[in-house]
Order: sequence, then structure tokens, then C-alpha cells
Amino acid sequence: MTGLGYTVPAILAVLAVCAVELGFLHTGLFRRGAYWLSMLIVLGFQIPVDGWLTKLSSPVVRYDAHQISGLRFPFDIPIEDFLFGFALVTAVLLRWEQQRARR
Amino acid sequence: MTDPWQYLLVLAACLVITAPLEILGPGVYRQPRRLLRAVLPIAAVFLLWDEIAIAAHVWTYNNAYIVGLSIPLRVPIEETLFFVVIPACALLTYNAVSTIVDWLRR
Repeated sequence: MTGLGYTVPAILAVLAVCAVELGFLHTGLFRRGAYWLSMLIVLGFQIPVDGWLTKLSSPVVRYDAHQISGLRFPFDIPIEDFLFGFALVTAVLLRWEQQRARR
Repeated sequence: MTDPWQYLLVLAACLVITAPLEILGPGVYRQPRRLLRAVLPIAAVFLLWDEIAIAAHVWTYNNAYIVGLSIPLRVPIEETLFFVVIPACALLTYNAVSTIVDWLRR
């Protein structure tokens, strides 16, 4: 844990996505219950899928131990993956909502 | 052996499991332009992140579990598809949840 080449960008990605919505897009996504419920369901599926990809016994994806916080939960999932997933999915949902607003 | 197909099979499973959600509400695949406009620009940004992370060896892929094709510069084809497949699954989930929440409110 020195460079945090994954931890820092993952945190920044989440902050950037939230800043874009709150400061600029104003789609109202964060006020929709359906969004938060969807994120919970996505999280429920991320755990088995990501758990499979990152399992230390036979990993599909390997991380440089110096670039992550070292916190891996649940299974062997680097916690940074949850920030990465949140940013990716939320960014796409924001663009989806943005096109609803335009109509 | 199926090992090199592992990552692709995981992505295929995600698409298969979420596909039935398309029948709910206005759907996602039935709005192809909206789908592509939502997914592609974000996929491009995350692919750039991926290229940098791979080049800097922040993460790497186990050659035993990928088919060996990649896009320039170094991103495996599976990872490229990940940025389209996972957002599509998330949109299908959001579409389904939104539709059901609307039903319950009526």
C-alpha cells in the first residue's frame, strides 16, 4: 500500500460522478427510490461476479498489492471495485435519465 | 478446456440472466439509440482508465482465463465488453425496478 493507484482514482471517480449530477445535470436520479433499489440489486450481483473474477485462489484479474488499500471484502474483492462499479453504473444511469429529461 | 472462456462466460451469464427484464415497461434494448448514447461515452472513459491502469500494472489479467484477443493498446476483449455488458445489465435492472415501483404506486 504505497501508490494507491487504484484507491485514489476510484474515490475521485465517485466524487466526480456525484459532482456532475449535483452541480450540473440535475436529473434527480439520487432522489429516485428506484435508483437506490437498483443499486442494491446490482451490488447483490456484483458480489458473486466480482468475487469470481478476483478470487485469490485462481484470479482472472490480479491487482498490484502496492496500488490498492489491501482491504478485500467480501471474498477477495478489493473494496475499490465497489467504488469503480458505483461510478460506472451511476454514470450510465445519469446519461439514461438525462435523455429522458431532454424529451 | 473451458478455462480461457471463463471471463467471457461470466459476461454471457450476466446478459442471459438480465434479458427477461426487457419485457417490463419501455425496456432498454427497445430504445437502442438511448442505450448507446448512455453507454458508449462512459465506456470510452472507463476504457481509457483501464488502458492507463494496465500500462501502469495497477491490475493485470490472468492469461489462463481470457481468450487472448485484445483491443489497442492492451485491454483484453473481455474487459472491453465488460463496459458495455455491465451497464446494459444495470439499465435493465433500473428499467425493471422503475416499472414495478410505478405499478405499486398506482
